[in-house]
Amino acid sequence: MTDLILFKNIDEPGLATLDVYRARGGYGDRLRKALSMPRDGLVEELKASGLRGRGGAGFSMGTKASFMPKGQMDKYLVCNADESEPGTFKDRELMQKCPHMLLEGMIIAAYAAGATRAFIYIRGEYQQQADILERAIAEAKAAGLLGDRILGFDVNLELWLHRGAGAYICGEETALLDSLEGKRGNPRLKPPFPANQGLYQGPTLINNVETLATLPHIVEMGAGEYAKIGVENSTGTKLISISGHVMKPGNYEIELGMSSRDIIYGLAGGPGEGRSVKLWFPGGSSSPVLTGDDLDIPYDFNSMAKAGTMLGSGAIIVVDDQTSVVDVALKTAQFYRHESCGKCTPCREGTNWTVKMLERIKSGEATPMDLDLMASVCENIIGNCLCVLGDAMAMPVGSMVKKFRGEFEEYIEAARERAERELIASITPSVEVAA
Amino acid sequence: MPRPELKEITFTIDGREVKAPENMILVDAAKHGDVDIPVFCYEPKLGAPVGACRMCLVEIEGIPKLQTGCSTPVKDGMVVHTATDRVKEAQQAVVEFLLINHPLDCPVCDKGGECPLQDISFGWGGGKTRFIEPKRHFQKPLELSPLIAIDRERCILCYRCVRFSQELSEDYQLILHERGAATFVGTFDGHPYVAPFSGNIIELCPVGALTSRPYRFRARPWDIEGSGSVCALCPGQCNVTFTVRDDRVLRVLARENEGVDDGWLCDRGRFAYQAIHVDERITTPLFRDGGVLRPVSWERALDEAASLLKKAGPRVGALAGGGTTNEEGFLLQRLMREVIGSQHLDASGVNPDDLWTLLDPELQATVPDLEFAHTVLVLGTEPVDDMPIIDLRIRKGVRRNRVKLAVATPRPSSLDANAELSLRYAPGGEGALVAALTAAVYGGDVVAPAEAAGADADAVRALAELLRTGGGDAPGDVVIVWGTSMLQTDGGAVAPALLKLTAGLNVRGREGAGLLAVPASANERGLLEAGVAPGMAPGFGEVPEGEAYHVEGIAAALRAGDLTALYLMHEDPLRDRPGSAGWDHALEKTTAVIAHAQFLSPGLEAHANVIFPAESYAEKEGTITHTDGRVQRLRPAIGRQGETRAEWWILGELAKRLGSDLGVLTGAMASKQLFDAVPFYKGLTLDAIGGKGLRWPADPDAVAAYPVPPESRRDSGYEAVPTPNGRLRLGTFRSIWASSEVEASPALKFLAPRQQVEMAPADARRLGVRHGEKVLVGSGGDGTTVEATVTLRDAALPGSVFLQTGITNNAANVLDGPLVEIRKA
Amino acid sequence: MANIGHLTGEGLQAVPRYAHGSRVPGWDDAVDLTKDPAGVPDPAQVSVPADLRASIEDYMSRYPDHRSAAIPALHAAQKIYGWCSPEAIEQVACVMRLTPGYLTAVAGFYDQFDLQPMGHRPVYVCTNISCSLRGADELLASLQDELHDSLDVNLRGFECLGACDIAPMVSVEGVYVGPVESPEEIAELAAQIRAGEDPLPAKQLLKRACQDPNSGPS
Repeated sequence: MTDLILFKNIDEPGLATLDVYRARGGYGDRLRKALSMPRDGLVEELKASGLRGRGGAGFSMGTKASFMPKGQMDKYLVCNADESEPGTFKDRELMQKCPHMLLEGMIIAAYAAGATRAFIYIRGEYQQQADILERAIAEAKAAGLLGDRILGFDVNLELWLHRGAGAYICGEETALLDSLEGKRGNPRLKPPFPANQGLYQGPTLINNVETLATLPHIVEMGAGEYAKIGVENSTGTKLISISGHVMKPGNYEIELGMSSRDIIYGLAGGPGEGRSVKLWFPGGSSSPVLTGDDLDIPYDFNSMAKAGTMLGSGAIIVVDDQTSVVDVALKTAQFYRHESCGKCTPCREGTNWTVKMLERIKSGEATPMDLDLMASVCENIIGNCLCVLGDAMAMPVGSMVKKFRGEFEEYIEAARERAERELIASITPSVEVAA
Repeated sequence: MPRPELKEITFTIDGREVKAPENMILVDAAKHGDVDIPVFCYEPKLGAPVGACRMCLVEIEGIPKLQTGCSTPVKDGMVVHTATDRVKEAQQAVVEFLLINHPLDCPVCDKGGECPLQDISFGWGGGKTRFIEPKRHFQKPLELSPLIAIDRERCILCYRCVRFSQELSEDYQLILHERGAATFVGTFDGHPYVAPFSGNIIELCPVGALTSRPYRFRARPWDIEGSGSVCALCPGQCNVTFTVRDDRVLRVLARENEGVDDGWLCDRGRFAYQAIHVDERITTPLFRDGGVLRPVSWERALDEAASLLKKAGPRVGALAGGGTTNEEGFLLQRLMREVIGSQHLDASGVNPDDLWTLLDPELQATVPDLEFAHTVLVLGTEPVDDMPIIDLRIRKGVRRNRVKLAVATPRPSSLDANAELSLRYAPGGEGALVAALTAAVYGGDVVAPAEAAGADADAVRALAELLRTGGGDAPGDVVIVWGTSMLQTDGGAVAPALLKLTAGLNVRGREGAGLLAVPASANERGLLEAGVAPGMAPGFGEVPEGEAYHVEGIAAALRAGDLTALYLMHEDPLRDRPGSAGWDHALEKTTAVIAHAQFLSPGLEAHANVIFPAESYAEKEGTITHTDGRVQRLRPAIGRQGETRAEWWILGELAKRLGSDLGVLTGAMASKQLFDAVPFYKGLTLDAIGGKGLRWPADPDAVAAYPVPPESRRDSGYEAVPTPNGRLRLGTFRSIWASSEVEASPALKFLAPRQQVEMAPADARRLGVRHGEKVLVGSGGDGTTVEATVTLRDAALPGSVFLQTGITNNAANVLDGPLVEIRKA
Repeated sequence: MANIGHLTGEGLQAVPRYAHGSRVPGWDDAVDLTKDPAGVPDPAQVSVPADLRASIEDYMSRYPDHRSAAIPALHAAQKIYGWCSPEAIEQVACVMRLTPGYLTAVAGFYDQFDLQPMGHRPVYVCTNISCSLRGADELLASLQDELHDSLDVNLRGFECLGACDIAPMVSVEGVYVGPVESPEEIAELAAQIRAGEDPLPAKQLLKRACQDPNSGPS
């Protein structure tokens, strides 16, 4: 295991203040180094680091920055702090404990993107984290680290914190832009991509909190050193959030490529005595589930993709063998139905339909044929939607039906029997029905 | 911004090579290859595609995922498949999803038979559903407004209606509540969706979720016929299709004409057809006998009218209102000039030389120019009231092409929010304002004329700067949208000043730039060109020397007894003209009042001797001329109601009885006479005008035939607006809803305006009146007052108040102005 | 399969809904034809509290397009009025020069805005997967029992609040606490919520270490 990067000193008291952060090297030589590099050089450096976006899609950060057009125009940097993927809480940890690391990263990213205005879009529920960030922004402004001529360089950045108000879809970058523009958070058609027409139609670079917070360290270490951490195509360390049926839920910083078993059992303590892992979401609730047989897959972007799922936001949710897969599927589907923005047909209607089918399964009104129908509906959603929210329901639910078909069928039979008994009992109250 | 140039490319669709303009949206380009890609949410008129319904998924070679045809611009060499298994599966899936909660109540749905959802389900759906859960059920239909019913079960959430409200008409009243599967269309806190263009959402709705309350259950698509014509209710002259069943107009739909209406209609145009079939309409000739108007035979009415005219000799005046066609106007002036021997006829009420000068084809902008100009100046008019359809066009230009919009009006404008710059001046200050603007463009004293207009000199300078630099360093394409009612004020100072301003902005002869007049009535330009103007023969020709009274002159001459008879075509001066007290007096003195009318308005009821029933615009045959010079054709959609007859025929019959033959046996012969008489209409035929109209200023031969307007006849002197001195300056406006058709249409009646007095909060505080309070507005002197409700407007210019005209009760034209007093009622 | 048997049971709707399935009455409602259409409110006709106006104007000044201030402005108004009442929305619309419809559409999209009168103190119980696996649904049911008569509390189940490490957890007016598991703890928390006291001080998220979850206060 390599040294901690993002979580080094993370629990040090006062790290959220400018003084302590500076004492740990913040806003110092590395920021000067970044701002004294030519802009193209900095972008090249970010590309060379191999850093992939930590929000979920895993796109190369440097490449994304290089899409920003040159020339004089209003360009924007937006930090996606709408951390809403179920199971994910790593950005929260960074923002509440080390907000200045995010701000420093944003200064570097804004310089690389040529942006002079930046916004942090934080989910509305993170009120305490928003307060901490507001204080940090005020400190940084007062210290001349935000505003005009940062550290005496010809670099200007106006930065505001923007609070959302509770909508998962706003984590999708174009929905976030609509929301930041004061509209309903509906995803936009792509193309145009935000790098060409983003916020207020201007070129916009959008990155996740963890991605941005990593930048000061890449500059400090040098891209070459950073790229040595991790495995091919998955460089660096990653913050992962582990929750559900584990003994020690929490955030951990790991080197990519580590074995999943070491994470779930080693770091998080596993599901506890006498229980085993039935299924797990490797990258938030949107990722197709893996089973207890998949624990030896290395935890990195490519290995997860090869296993038919994804690393996503790095949120592992563990479900033990005491839990019914039908309940997990229904909870998952209900969440996406609730969070579907309603703009496109397959997602709006498909998530709703899937919930209704799962509810039928629960209430004993389904047959195993409904599993084929559900699989077909999920297929009809995948790839046909405006954004990925519909897929985000269809893929995990579809994977659960596929991998646990036997359990679903047993459940359906048991639920039907139960429903039948109840029905008979309700119409023949005088007759004792054997349970 | 100038119009983009189009380049042609070749792409392949379903194995066929097709040519189309580059970057055309695939759904539209596919039509060039005769391929239909089904859509629900896509509607190019609504702006950028949203890709919401996912109905138009297609396969494009080289792109792994299916793409939405509504958002994909075609490129050279693109290879598209719309009928592969993969595409079909996706299409069937989307139709299946859409039908999950759709009630399939087609047998009782108004949209049945003309429903895109039916068509697309049939054409691209799987034909079966696997959804066995109960569908959602809601109360239905519900009122969304008095005009529109909403059925939320049927809604497929294509977002067209809310996009229209939010992004097209920009009233932003119709919204989506909630999100996801719970999303539904509604309004804020149960307020009705009432807006000038609300009815368009009925036509946009691809299912039966939004239906017209007046049309509900009146007909099935197979019961009806469509009949194309033009709406003649306002100067917008939008192209329409009348839905006709059993010789009754049951509905009006937009008939897209890019040069006129862009495919939209205002609610007056959409619903006022109801006034065609109301009992209040006059459908028989009426003659005043023993003080009472009684129905009489045509023979009797014509004889009586002829004898009254004979008695009056040449001492006859004539006025034509906005609903008069070119042919009717032309024949009216022949009757007056050739048969009766009177030169006293008018329509617009303004100096015809002014309009002659300003309607010069070299200065003429077109409606589509509003979309592509660098700068548009809205001057002295409120488009949404005066010519509603161009309000949408101006907004479109600002929204899509970043046209710079400036507004200079006395009353706060609904376009202020879209304008780069808004300027207020006092009512009556038109001449001074244009003079100040001209001075600011040329360099000169701005302060004095600005002060005389009650405007801020710096704002005038800023406006001039905007106009001068709209195209970068140069003015670029400037379109000035101006209200012809401005010419009625300030003793004629406006026209020369406006002419000078256009010279300073270099618009003469420039494509895409110029003046666009907003006439005060529907066919103002046509009537002027047909010769219904004092001292002006058809085509701005010469008339014999001698006195020729304009509107106010006619009133004065009637009062003085110099004229004894009045011929009114579609006009009641008591309601339609300023100074109603004077007109009341004049009509009192007039021996004979002969009118063509659809409705018995108060002035006619009190004073008319003979009334001929007038045709509605759906019954008329003839032409009208749009303000940008487009001659358009009215075609009868239904038979004439009751005993109503063609009005050209009435004029011909009167001429006969007075001893002349106008030589008109059919409507087409009247048109032929008109086209021959107006030099720049030469060569026009009804066939050539066709369904979309023909702009004569676009024809160089016609432009060459336009008689050269007189040199600037007057100095551009101006008068200062009066100082209030504790009183208030009176301005007037005419709402889009102020019309006899609105008052007569059962469905629109609720919109007929009540008098209100708009004022600045500062004035209200000084007078001690509150918002919503009833007050009396009087011009002092004779003690005449108008009762009105106070409406406070933050953006109103202190020192001025505004009242409505054109309404039947309590209209502002009883007040003389220019200053009024206000006291509590 | 017992320990999360209530995973999808009663009372778990993420947001309280009306009988017709919506958070705002509307599905089954016609408009009120006696009302005037709702355009942009004229500043001369609507009065806005000075501090609300000032904060909205401050928000508007932060963005190139003033409409961006819609969400912060609605937060500010909801703080004053307890919910996004028609009056509150009209006032925001008046300052922002938007129609009240615009703001209603925005407010209706986001879970944190209430378009019906609610207790003005929001208490959210996360009922998403991770918290449910650890008993969130029982927690919500218990709190509902305890707090059903506290009218100023707006208690509701909520989608993932981003604190699965302290599952099952509660956000008490923005203060995250958890795990809240034992009946005693639930009762204590309910009492603190009712009294408006600092909720379970020892179990607040901000006091928890991240790297070794077992070393923090438990």
